[in-house]
Amino acid sequence: MKRYVCSVCGYVYEEEKGVPEKGVAPGTRWEALPQNWVCPWCGAGKESFREQGVPSASVLGPDPEAPEQMKELTPMEMSVICSNLAQGCEKQYLPEAAEKYRLLAEFFRKSGEPELDPSLEEVSRLVKQDLESGYPYGQSAAGKAADRGALRSLVWSEKVTRMLDSLLERYEREGPGMFRDKRVFVCTVCGFIYVGEQAPELCPVCKVPGWKFERIEGGENVWQKNMR
Amino acid sequence: MAEKYAVRNLRLCTKDCLCLYVCPTGASDTENSIIDREKCMGCGACAQACPSGAISMVPRIMPPQQPKEETVKTALRALIRSKNRQEAIAGALPGVLAQAVARSARLTAEDLCREGGYMLPQSENARQFLQYVKELPGIPAETAEELLREFFGEQS
Ligand code: SF4
Ligand code: SF4
Ligand SMILES: [Zn+2]
Ligand SMILES: [Zn+2]
Repeated sequence: MKRYVCSVCGYVYEEEKGVPEKGVAPGTRWEALPQNWVCPWCGAGKESFREQGVPSASVLGPDPEAPEQMKELTPMEMSVICSNLAQGCEKQYLPEAAEKYRLLAEFFRKSGEPELDPSLEEVSRLVKQDLESGYPYGQSAAGKAADRGALRSLVWSEKVTRMLDSLLERYEREGPGMFRDKRVFVCTVCGFIYVGEQAPELCPVCKVPGWKFERIEGGENVWQKNMR
Repeated sequence: MAEKYAVRNLRLCTKDCLCLYVCPTGASDTENSIIDREKCMGCGACAQACPSGAISMVPRIMPPQQPKEETVKTALRALIRSKNRQEAIAGALPGVLAQAVARSARLTAEDLCREGGYMLPQSENARQFLQYVKELPGIPAETAEELLREFFGEQS
């Protein structure tokens, strides 16, 4: 009997044991789990699982290619630098300086290039590109430089990105119905997205307590519109 | 000015007010409960007295963040740019998923940016950044200058 590991949170599905408390009988084969089965810990879909002991493609593949060097900061990059420094100010209890950085962040965000043809498919393409080359290259660069801080943030954001990938795939299959009777939460520390009745007790990626999650509102309207 | 000053974690504070009682300068007695950084002389009396462990002493000048390898910086920036686009696209779409994607992309970009050399508002990187942006056309330059004055005592 085989075991499958969730690449987002590390949960292990053991065919031998199943998940009796969730109605999955012991001995249930991985292939026999329904398409829309999700990780009982973090909510990631089946595509986010890897068979235990089988190395993933990125480990076997050649060294990922380096992205091109960039000189100029884009407006959005500057916006992120500012909103991040605003958080830094907040942690040091400097609310006025935080406010100023937030004002600059907003200014830069608005001066970014508008997206002419926005679509979730394009987001999905970027997410897959991050997972295929962005993160493997980053991990190898940070590993060679023994940069523990960078490695930590790459590990977290890669997991968050895997979850994103899984959610976008589910959305393509199930449509807005996947949010029926569900709420959407985002961890304000690492960005992990959780779909469920309430925020998890601990963030499956960065392990902060549930009160650090923020509820994302406004989805119900779209869902209702699509159902009419 | 002393090297340290006191900050109060409002989540831990139970409002017993021992810190008000022991503070020689009145720095801990403010309307918004944020200890006055200018008045605080860094004696640490409040931190020792607090029964809730809500006050910590933080250095006024932070040690510089470790220098970053170019390869690491390039890798982080490429990912940040990808997250930026994800945020911009999702931000232009309706629905709860798009909204969550935009928020998440911003948060991950911020975390990568923190490790890319912008951890502290007191850092040299932050100073150079502000120097650079205050010359950009259309920017609220006054705000950037105020931040330069506040953190680096720079006059323009
Ligand atoms: S002594 Fe501690 S708990 Fe009491 S008011 Fe001051 S910070 Fe809050
Ligand atoms: S460190 Fe000393 S001066 Fe500063 S707030 Fe605490 S008691 Fe007051
Ligand atoms: Zn999981
Ligand atoms: Zn988290």
